[in-house]
Amino acid sequence: MMYGVPGMVAQRLMQLVPVMIVATFVVFSLVYMMPGDPAMMIAGDYATAERIAEIRHIYGFDRPMLMQYFFWLGNAVQGDLGHSLFSNESVLRLILARLPHTVLLVLYALVLGAVFGIPLGILAATRQGTTLDKVITSIASLGVAVPSFWLGIILVTLFSLGYRWFPATGAVSVFEKPLESIYYATLPAIALSTSVVAVLARQVRSALLEVLGSQYIRTLRAKGLSSGAILWKHGLRNVAATMLTIAGLQVNRLFSSAVIIEAVFAIPGVGNLISYSALNKDFPVVQGVALVLVLVVILTNLLVDVLNATFDPRVAASA
Amino acid sequence: MTINPFAKIPDLTRRSLLAGTAAAGGLALLPAMARAQAPQPRSGGTLRAVMPFNPAALDPLTGRNNPDFNALLLMFDALIGFDPQTLELQPMLATSWKFTDPTTLVLELRQGVEFHDGTPFNAEAVVFHLQRCMTYERSNVKSDLAVVSKVEATGPYQVSIKLKYSDATLPAILTDRAGLIVSPASVKAAAGGNVDRAPVGTGPFKFVEWQDNALIKVVKNANYWGDKPYLDGVDMRIVNEFNTAVRTVTAGESDIVLNMSAQQMAVAKRDPKLVAEATPSMIYYTAFLNYGEGPLADVRVRQAMNWALDRPVLNQVLWGGLGGGHCSMFPSGFWANDPATENFYKLDLDRAKSLLKAAGFANGIEIATFTWADQAAVQRQEVLGAQLAEAGIRLKVTPAQPAQTMQYFLTEKKGHMLMTPTGGLPDPATAYDRQFSATAYRNAAKIELPGYRELMDASMNTFDNAKRKDVLFKMQRFVLENALHLPQFSSAGIIIRTPKVHGFNFSLLQRPRFHKVWMEA
Repeated sequence: MMYGVPGMVAQRLMQLVPVMIVATFVVFSLVYMMPGDPAMMIAGDYATAERIAEIRHIYGFDRPMLMQYFFWLGNAVQGDLGHSLFSNESVLRLILARLPHTVLLVLYALVLGAVFGIPLGILAATRQGTTLDKVITSIASLGVAVPSFWLGIILVTLFSLGYRWFPATGAVSVFEKPLESIYYATLPAIALSTSVVAVLARQVRSALLEVLGSQYIRTLRAKGLSSGAILWKHGLRNVAATMLTIAGLQVNRLFSSAVIIEAVFAIPGVGNLISYSALNKDFPVVQGVALVLVLVVILTNLLVDVLNATFDPRVAASA
Repeated sequence: MTINPFAKIPDLTRRSLLAGTAAAGGLALLPAMARAQAPQPRSGGTLRAVMPFNPAALDPLTGRNNPDFNALLLMFDALIGFDPQTLELQPMLATSWKFTDPTTLVLELRQGVEFHDGTPFNAEAVVFHLQRCMTYERSNVKSDLAVVSKVEATGPYQVSIKLKYSDATLPAILTDRAGLIVSPASVKAAAGGNVDRAPVGTGPFKFVEWQDNALIKVVKNANYWGDKPYLDGVDMRIVNEFNTAVRTVTAGESDIVLNMSAQQMAVAKRDPKLVAEATPSMIYYTAFLNYGEGPLADVRVRQAMNWALDRPVLNQVLWGGLGGGHCSMFPSGFWANDPATENFYKLDLDRAKSLLKAAGFANGIEIATFTWADQAAVQRQEVLGAQLAEAGIRLKVTPAQPAQTMQYFLTEKKGHMLMTPTGGLPDPATAYDRQFSATAYRNAAKIELPGYRELMDASMNTFDNAKRKDVLFKMQRFVLENALHLPQFSSAGIIIRTPKVHGFNFSLLQRPRFHKVWMEA
């Protein structure tokens, strides 16, 4: 309360360090505890026992887990995320090459979700109990239920293999060919966005219904304000915080859903990278990606909080 | 009523005679015309290939898995080549090789060959490379050359390899990773000698870039010493998910997809615009058995399991009939595969049950089994389990990731059996050695049954091909009689391509060379 929005930002940024240490330690522990010996995978199909033991020693897999973690952390603090155990590529370079594809996909899906989900929620709330409301609510339920990978395959079959309107697989760099990159990301983004549309539509509907049913709205109506003015000036402003919070949560969820969508569309993003690396127990890559994703999630939440505080002075005051 | 067989023959006229002659002439010309119309090899174009596995490294020494060769053989030539259909050894960077005595192999090298960096290929380069194979700490091929005591240049283009003991498999090993010659200059220039991501060989294509788990790009080596490649380049995309990989070729986004499975073959065959091909392969499906302890230490139990399998059905159901439903480790027709014992075990449930009974398991037996967790592996385990159950052999299955199954079964000695594909080695003696020798990592028992060592040594010490074949036939019989594993069926190398791609040969080892591949305009 004393410091307002800047204080809140500073406080969150200070929390960033311990959160990232805990998160990376948890990820490291989980990967470490997973059965499977990375030395065996590095040694290959026909390795001898001696070679596997030698690799354990070379890569330090024979050291205690904590020592391995702190070794990684010490380097990470200095900006060195290490190299992939399997392809020897720099982890930072791997992430930087792949992150834009995933970020584009997530943002594109979020925009689609907002563009379709929020109006649908508003429509359903302002026409509560009508057939339109029921149709929108049913579509929203379906949107949550339909698995994105299944929808992805259907979309590819129809619009890539059938009509040939969109590419079936792949991605283009957003920095080199921005328009083409959006074209490539369209089908995966649609597949990814359906649940965002559904969740936003449902949440906006229920939040707006609550607001529209409140006493001050009745007072406004009694004062003669038009329905449009009530909705746009007062109703939506009050549900903005809900929309922002839900959208923020969706960003986190979209990053995790991207793992599967990237596999379906062969998009070389970080989702694809982390799943492949986790299966191979490629510690440095998993750690690096986890670090970046934790950072993205924390910063997204921070952004949501800052926007909420900007829209709602009560939030700023309580920060 | 009489029938005139010539009633429908028209009257012979000059016009009809000429027409008939022209038609006959035309028919005679048909093959030649067809040949003329058949597409001819042409240069140009970049092949858009797809494979499902990211190579571990593009340095042959530090890589590890068989699909790496899809990329490696674009850029590297081996000292010794092989015929893709028979694996018969052929000259490549070595024009000839000879054991001057049982422990000395002399290689005569090809002259006038250059690495992609412009440095010359010669005996010095080969010596540097082989020594790097044996001493570089990240080398995964040290064990392949464990037999080598000394490598020396005995001429500008002659290399002598001294062995600690005689080993007839060494020439075949030189077709493998250890024989893929890396430019010494590139190694010396690289930090720590690490050329994982900067491959420089003498092969038909030169490395351009590798986007990890996404794309490997190569372009034609215009100075290639052999037949020049037809293609201007190859863009090898890496798409991990098999069905997505097939969709790239269906959607026209790629020209050929490698390393597919029977399920994708079935899908592709429904598309008239695609060509799906399955060729014999040295990779086969089996189960490693721990015959050192537990119930599988009894040969009768192992034999009972082998008699309980209906392999042609396994091949049909699990591999679409594309592989070989037999119990040999090698495909039918392969030189080291003895046709007399290729079907040593056929379905015989009575025999299986009586062997189990004799082993003291009249009421059946439970076998702790590890298997991979993917959909195809689970399906394989279910079909195999159902067949074994008919004889009273129940599988208690633990599915896990491939490396985890290896750790459980081979390192931690858990369970009795591990279901896995294996194989793909160029020399059959090496294939036996890596699976059944006491030192083999894949031998969970870490023992050799009586009689094995003599046959293994003989296969290493016999240089005459006919005699070696005889020894390997005996080894095949020994492995089967002692039921050292549970072979199910041999697989197939499966590719899906567009009809405009020609000249592709996956080879028995699923190690293709692309310099003969060409594309229609």
